[in-house]
Amino acid sequence: MITAKKQMVLFLTLTLLLTLLAPITRASGPGFSMGGPEGKNGKCLDCHGTSDKVGSKYFIDPVKYRHTNHAKIGCPACHDNAVVAGHPAVKKASAKTDCRFCHTDIAGEYAKSSHAGKTSCNGCHDPHRAKTPAEISGSDINKMCAGCHDHYGITASHAKWLPQAELHIEMLPCITCHTGSKNYVINLYIINRQGIPHLGKFEPAGHDELKRLAGGKSILSLIDINGDNYISLVELRSFNTNPAYTGLHLQGMMTPETASHSFQILDNRRDCTFCHASGPGAMQTSYIAIPEDNGTFRKIAVEKGAVLEALKSTPDFYMTGKTRNSILNKIGLLILLGGLVMPVGHGFLRYLSRNIRNRKDNGHE
Amino acid sequence: MSEKKMLYLHPLPIRIWHWLNALGIITLCLTGIQIRFPEYANIFGSYRAAILFHNAAGIIVAFSFSIWFFYYSMSARNLGNIYVPDGEDIKHGLLRQVFFYFFLYFFGRPNPHHATPDNKFNPMQKSAYLAIMFVLMPVVSLTGILLMNVSPLRELILAAGGLKLLDILHYLAACSLGAFLFTHVYLTTLGHTPLAHTKAMVTGWEEEEDDHE
Repeated sequence: MITAKKQMVLFLTLTLLLTLLAPITRASGPGFSMGGPEGKNGKCLDCHGTSDKVGSKYFIDPVKYRHTNHAKIGCPACHDNAVVAGHPAVKKASAKTDCRFCHTDIAGEYAKSSHAGKTSCNGCHDPHRAKTPAEISGSDINKMCAGCHDHYGITASHAKWLPQAELHIEMLPCITCHTGSKNYVINLYIINRQGIPHLGKFEPAGHDELKRLAGGKSILSLIDINGDNYISLVELRSFNTNPAYTGLHLQGMMTPETASHSFQILDNRRDCTFCHASGPGAMQTSYIAIPEDNGTFRKIAVEKGAVLEALKSTPDFYMTGKTRNSILNKIGLLILLGGLVMPVGHGFLRYLSRNIRNRKDNGHE
Repeated sequence: MSEKKMLYLHPLPIRIWHWLNALGIITLCLTGIQIRFPEYANIFGSYRAAILFHNAAGIIVAFSFSIWFFYYSMSARNLGNIYVPDGEDIKHGLLRQVFFYFFLYFFGRPNPHHATPDNKFNPMQKSAYLAIMFVLMPVVSLTGILLMNVSPLRELILAAGGLKLLDILHYLAACSLGAFLFTHVYLTTLGHTPLAHTKAMVTGWEEEEDDHE
């Protein structure tokens, strides 16, 4: 018979053992491991990187995920508490880490914005394919917004006050006007006709087709002829006038230099001169955005003043009042002054000859 | 002194067209200045207002241009006579008219050209209006229509060479029209009185002799 003292020792020993073994049991279902620090995502992606195994809902695109900063910290950083005993056999919904634990500043900014309470981070961002602001295209940003904001409704509401509303909505990321971002740059995307030949809509060209066009070399080599990772105006002009690239165009989008989550409706954006007025050093900075195989864009610096050049650097990017060319301004002034030659020159001689003409009119000669 | 004979030179549709154009083109010039140089010119209160006035005036002028073209080429059937210099105009008339304006005029000599309803422009005017009505106006109107509808007409814009080429053509054609405006207004003062030609464009009636503009 076990004495009360022995019962107490057994109880404490079992309790201690269970406590020590609990974390191991929780994080390691049968045949399952999160992997070590070097392979934090490997085991998870064995299943979640294949839609056949987990279904489309729990599928994580490995190519897009591995590129994210989230992949660097690994699945357990966010899902540590989510993997229950018996996973993956036990298919229990995972409780995710709150984004605010890491993104404190953004969360604070967002909480004060007009979006606060309307949707969470996941409403716009997929953490498994999150891109940095520099890596995402303007049209991809707008696709995120279009998840809630119906394109036609938005176009119609803007058209009530904004000339060429459809153009503005197509050519500007929403955040350019609807966040308190400061400093703007021009991102130039290579577009071509998608879908039906000769009839399809112009959209940013994909990585694979540009890679094919580059003959297997890097896409950047289509423009960066000397391979110095910098686009000069000469290279830009050469790209735009190369007959081999007649189907390709450069589409410019004015985007904030740094992204902000302070979503709001700003009255000063209703003043067109916020964008459509030139100033010292306006629109000097631009980048070519090269599509990568993981769905992101790599931005390559372009020589200063590309969008301000008269014609060949960016033939299809023009912002009225903003990117006017200074040489053309002078030519225009000369033409106008030419129109004054007759009134001023002839008028002066007319004034000097007034007595002669008056005598003639009065029949003195 | 010679007897003054009145000619009905400008039919009512032409006068309406002229003054509609005048109002439209002046509006286009002023709004155009603000649209291109908003930091230096705020004539219409806001940039948006300038754009809206520019678009409205542009539509009116482009429509009025179409009416003009229709009126002269289809109804009056005398577009060529009035606006296209003939062989005589090019060989002798042009030089004679230039010599008059820049030399003989200052000695009070009569204008070698006498306007009639079917031949109301002198060879210099014909050459100028030919360039204006058959080159500058179509260029400025067509580029303006494209620039005003960038999104729906993007295909045409790309086919035409891109936004910047259209802007350059629109801007330079507009400057040329603006330059002509100075000369045009000045030449209207060369009638037998400074306001004679302007009055003729209001009433339609012009004194036959001493015609300069």
